[in-house]
Parts: sequence; structure tokens; C-alpha cells
Amino acid sequence: MVARTTVDWDALATRARVARRSRAVVLYAFLIAVSLPIILPYFWLVTIAFSARTGVADTAVLWRSMAVVIPTVVALWLAAALAQSRRQLWMGLTAVAAIAAVAFALLVGPDLHLGNFIFLWEPDFASVVRSRIGEVKGAVQFPNVWHAFGNSILIAGAQTTIVVTVASLAAYYLSRFQFPGRSSMLRSLLVLHAFPVLTLIVPMFLMLYWIGLLDTLSGVIIVLVAFELPFAIFIMKGFFDAVPWDIEMSALTDGASRRQAFVSVVLPQVRNGILAIAVFTFIRGWEEYIFVFTFLIRNSNWTMSLYMYWVRDDVMGVDYGVVSAVGVFYLVPSLILYMGAQRYLMQMSIGGVKG
Amino acid sequence: MAKIEFRNVVKRFGAVEVIPDMNLVIEDGEFVALLGPSGCGKSTSLFMLAGIYLPSGGELLFDGHVVNEVEARDRNVGIVFQSYALYPHMSVRDNILFPLRFKKTPRDEALTRVKAAANLVRVEELLDRRPSELSGGQQQRVALARALVKEPQLLLLDEPLSNLDASLRLSMRTEIKSLHAQLGVTTVLVTHDQIEATTMADRIICMRAGQIEQVGTPDDLYLKPSSLFVAGFIGSPPINLVAGKAEGGTITVDGVRFPVEGASGSVTVGLRPEHLRFGNTGFAGRIAQIEPMGREILYVVETGMGALRVLEQGSSAGHSTGEEVRIGFQPENSLVFETAQQKLVAGAHVRAPI
Ligand SMILES: Nc1ncnc2c1ncn2[C@@H]1O[C@H](COP(=O)(O)OP(=O)(O)OP(=O)(O)O)[C@@H](O)[C@H]1O
Ligand SMILES: [Mg+2]
Repeated sequence: MVARTTVDWDALATRARVARRSRAVVLYAFLIAVSLPIILPYFWLVTIAFSARTGVADTAVLWRSMAVVIPTVVALWLAAALAQSRRQLWMGLTAVAAIAAVAFALLVGPDLHLGNFIFLWEPDFASVVRSRIGEVKGAVQFPNVWHAFGNSILIAGAQTTIVVTVASLAAYYLSRFQFPGRSSMLRSLLVLHAFPVLTLIVPMFLMLYWIGLLDTLSGVIIVLVAFELPFAIFIMKGFFDAVPWDIEMSALTDGASRRQAFVSVVLPQVRNGILAIAVFTFIRGWEEYIFVFTFLIRNSNWTMSLYMYWVRDDVMGVDYGVVSAVGVFYLVPSLILYMGAQRYLMQMSIGGVKG
Repeated sequence: MAKIEFRNVVKRFGAVEVIPDMNLVIEDGEFVALLGPSGCGKSTSLFMLAGIYLPSGGELLFDGHVVNEVEARDRNVGIVFQSYALYPHMSVRDNILFPLRFKKTPRDEALTRVKAAANLVRVEELLDRRPSELSGGQQQRVALARALVKEPQLLLLDEPLSNLDASLRLSMRTEIKSLHAQLGVTTVLVTHDQIEATTMADRIICMRAGQIEQVGTPDDLYLKPSSLFVAGFIGSPPINLVAGKAEGGTITVDGVRFPVEGASGSVTVGLRPEHLRFGNTGFAGRIAQIEPMGREILYVVETGMGALRVLEQGSSAGHSTGEEVRIGFQPENSLVFETAQQKLVAGAHVRAPI
């Protein structure tokens, strides 16, 4: 016989409730603590870009904007924590956002202007900005920002196209076919990714110099592709591994050639994987700094990161508003890309075939 | 429609020989079942027929032509995979349409044929859904429709019913059988379920470790299993196999002696549970377990040679566990196997106990 002990169910329930509550409090405190340091710099960047004026070192507007942002972030998390239903959540978030918008318009609104984005229409903005404070010479000759923008798009776009194509094909082959050296190849894929790429910068420089691709966009693209490929292949192989053999065999017996089966049946199953490596590769190329800094010299080859670097170098002491504006401009494409792909990236962990 | 022939077909995966030497003829329009335990090479044989695996040796013939090297897409074979292998990103309509895409069928005609195939397996209401929105049985029908829409000369079914529940399995069994009767396409069904094989197929090919053990009609395999393996595989509940000694025209099993013709030495006697009867003579034992099976009752009886399964009609038999019983049998139904070779002793004939 098992001894019966009386159980105080109410006490147990209370204890569980308290534990659940305190866990939630800790979680939200943590979320607020980590989200503020991430949100604040971006928020300042944007605020400065739209409010700073040449030669004026005024930080009052930053403090005022902070007075709006910090309570907003806290309020948003609180709303998320306290909402009992989806509807309440939406209403809470909307209310917080509306109040924040009004407060922002009142406190910061009067200081906003577009003058810092002068670089978009005035290639020689450095001279213009300097002349405002009486300096007339010594400005760096900047290329048109749209040219740098185009270079960046070209590098990131070409890199993405090549990486996605090559990685998909290579990963499919690695996933489906048995050939001598397959496992050592897989192992080396990971090892390749383990080394800091910067260590190779001198040999890469020499190689590019000898094959005559130094100071060309193609040279940088080749280098970036080489460094991005191993990991992309590895990721894609995981996605292909998750696609069952059956549907491929089924396509073959249904009359498809190997290539048709790959395109019409296998590729759609790894769509999320392709999207993920495409987004990450593009952003990687977009923010690339070290290699372009080393391998690109002429200012007609500048990318956005180099443009940003030289703007900071040249105008920072004169007008940090312009520097911030360039930063915001540099940021926008990444932001758009992430927002567009976010829905698919979230599914990445699911991968493979559903149902 | 096609007549299929395996001539000394061998299949190896690396060093592993999965199918050592397969010889088999499947007649045009026939419905055969490949029956065997898991891992015996059923799917491998099927995939060779479909053209997914290349035979490592021997010849595979369709209508007398060697097709070893013919690619899967040119064989016009419809196949339903164990997992159904529907294309998850396509609607049911596109799934069924898929085989026609590569045949350059005009769009209108293709859609008509998709409708017809969908009607045949009764999924016409589901055409706009995704496979993930279908039940297992519906997916199975869609897979069947996709296999049938190209009017294949050979239909291959790889354990198509194993993912279905018992009642659905029963109805799909009937449906597939009537589909075959209606279309007359040569059909190979792979299964490890002997009931599926015996109820659906004209002929059963019983396989074991890559070898064909016996080919025959369901009755052949049930009444005259060529080996202990087939005898043990066919029949539910499974056959009782008891050791005996044949000497000078009598078999001694557990002390009971029977006259026998044509057997000698160490033998194994196969007694089907449905042929055993409680009576006043025969093997002595004690009922250890009673399992009602609806119309019949299965008794597990402990005897001197191990447990014997006895299947009796009717529920009012009035036996209870622990009861001492004696078990007799109809001698003409018993099977005598040579223990060493595990083969049926042809012509061996047991008579009622002395
Ligand atoms: N690609 C392969 N490489 C190596 N061995 C394989 C391969 N495919 C199958 N085999 C082996 O061949 C044997 C037969 O496999 P097969 O898939 O034909 O079995 P099966 O009879 O269909 O079994 P099940 O009922 O479990 O599906 C198994 O022992 C299996 O391990
Ligand atoms: Mg199988």
C-alpha cells in the first residue's frame, strides 16, 4: 500500500502562478534591456540625419528624442506582456505608437529637415558644406553617390547570383551523388569557413595583382564569392538532404529528365534555403568593407562602404549630419531586403518539405 | 500493357548483393504481388522495373525487349510510392497533370484526362487542394490517379496501403482490385502483408533475402507452400510448426504416432490453426490463453512441444484457461517438411493417428 499524504493543491497552484509571473517579469526586463541598446543607436542615426545642421553641435534634440523612444520601447513591451488577446495586443501597440508619434512630432518635429541629404543631388557636397563654415579648399573629390550605390548593387547582386547558382548545384550534387572524396570535401567545406578571411588578404592582393583584376569590381566579386561559397553550399546541402528521394524518383518515372526533375520538383522544396542564402549573401556583399578597401583604389570603383568611409573621413569634423544621412541612405536597401524576406527567413528552421 | 520478364537479374549496392539471381515472368494484364518480409528486396525489384535502379546484371524485358538501359521517363510506368511522393508545392490538379507535361499532351486534352483520372479514384472534389491538406487515404488516391493518368503499360504499387487505417485499407483493397479489372493494366503490388497479397493478387511471388521462394496463386501458397518460410509467412494466425521423426511409415510427434507415406528422417509438420480441433484424442495440452477474434476464437495451448494455436468456430465453445484439452487434426491438411532442407516433402501424406 502506498501511504496517502494530503496534498495542498491550492498552495501548489499559487506557487506555480507566482513562478510563472516572475519568469515573465524577468523575461520582459531582459527584452527591454537588450532591445534598447540596439534600437537607440539606429534611432539616433536617423534623428541626427534629419535634424543636425552644419557647424552646430546641438545635442538637445537627441535627448528630447530619447525621452520619446525609451518610454515607447518600454511601453511596447509592457503592452505585449499585458495583452490578453491578439486584439488587445494590436490595440495596445497601436495606442503606444500613436502617442509616441504625437510626442515625437511635438518634441522633435520642429527640428527636422532634409538638408543633410545634399549628397544625393550635389556630388561636390563636401565643398558646399565646407564653404558654409568658411573653409574653401581641401575637400575630397567625391564620385556621384549613385555611382557608388550602383557599384555596391553590382557587387552584391553579382555575388548573390553566382553564390546561389553555384551553391545550389554543388549542394545538390553533394547531397545526391556518391563519389570518391565526398566526405572529405564536406569536411573541408566547414574547415574553410573556420579561418578568419582577413589572414588571406596579402596573398589575395598579390593574386589579383598578377591576374590583372586589382582595382576592378570583378576581382572583388570573385574574392567574395570564393569566401561565401563554402558555407552557402553547406547550408544548401542541409536543405537538399531534407527533400525526400521519392518525389524525385517519382518525377523521373513521370517522364521528367534529371534536370527537369531538379528544376520543377526539387528546387521548389528548397526555396526557403535559396532565399536565405540569397539574402545573407547580398547583405554580406552590401556591407563588404575590408576587401573593397584593399582591392579597389580608383574613386569610380567606390562602393557605398568606401563612400561612407571617405565621407566620414572628410566631413565628420564639419558636419556629422551629412555623415549620418549617408549612413541612413546606406542602410535603406538592407532594411527593405530584410523586411521583404523576413517572412521566409523565419521559416528557415522548418526547411525541407512540409506535409 | 506489357509482359514483364526478369532473366537472371542481379542487383548489387556496392559490395552488397541484394538480389542474387531473379527469374520471373509476369503475364500481360496480370495482377501480381511481391510478398516478403522487410528488407528482402521488394522495393529494389520494383525500382528496377521503374528504371530508377539499373540492374547490375541479367536482363529485364518488357514485351520481349531488353529495357535494362531504357531511362525511367521512357518506360511509361506508373508508380505509387509507399510515401505517395506527391509534389508538396503543387495542387492536386497539377500533381495529376505532371506526367502529361512531359508528353506534350495538348492542354485541353490533358485537363480532360486529369478529370477522368480524378473521377476514377474519386478525388474530383479535391483538385484545388495541396497534398498537405489531404488525409492519408486521399493522398493515396491522388498518387494512384497520377500513376494512372499517363495510361501506363505497367502499374507499380509499393506498399500503397501501409499508411492507412484498417477499414480504409479494406475498401482501398477492393477499389484497387476493381480498378485493375476495369483497366486491365499489368500490375505489381509490393507488400509485406500476406492478407493484402492473397486478397488482391492473381499470383503471389514470395521473396526472402532477395531470392524468390515460391511463385503461385494464393491457394497454391496456402495449400502447398514449397518451404517452411512460405508456410510460416502465409496464413493468419500463423501455422503451427512442430518437430517430428518419420521412420518406417510412421511419424512420431510429441509421442503421438501417425501413419505417413513418402517421408523419412527428421521432419517438421505444419498444422494450420484452423485445421486443429479439440477432441478426445491427439496432443495433450492446457489452454494458456483465449483470444476472441469475432466469429472465431484463437486458443493458445501449451503442449509438450511448445505452444499450439488452435482456431475454433463459434463463441459458445465453453472452454476456459487452464483447462486440459486434447487436440486432433484433419490429417489431409497437414504439411510435412524436411527439417534439414526446410522444403516440403512432395507427396508426403499423413493419416489419422493410430
Ligand atoms: N541504395 C541502397 N544502398 C545500399 N543498400 C540498399 C540500398 N537500397 C536498399 N538497400 C538494401 O537492400 C535490401 C533490400 O531493400 P528494399 O528496399 O528492396 O527492401 P524491401 O523489401 O522493399 O523492404 P521494406 O518492406 O522494408 O520496404 C535491404 O537490405 C537494404 O538495406
Ligand atoms: Mg520497400
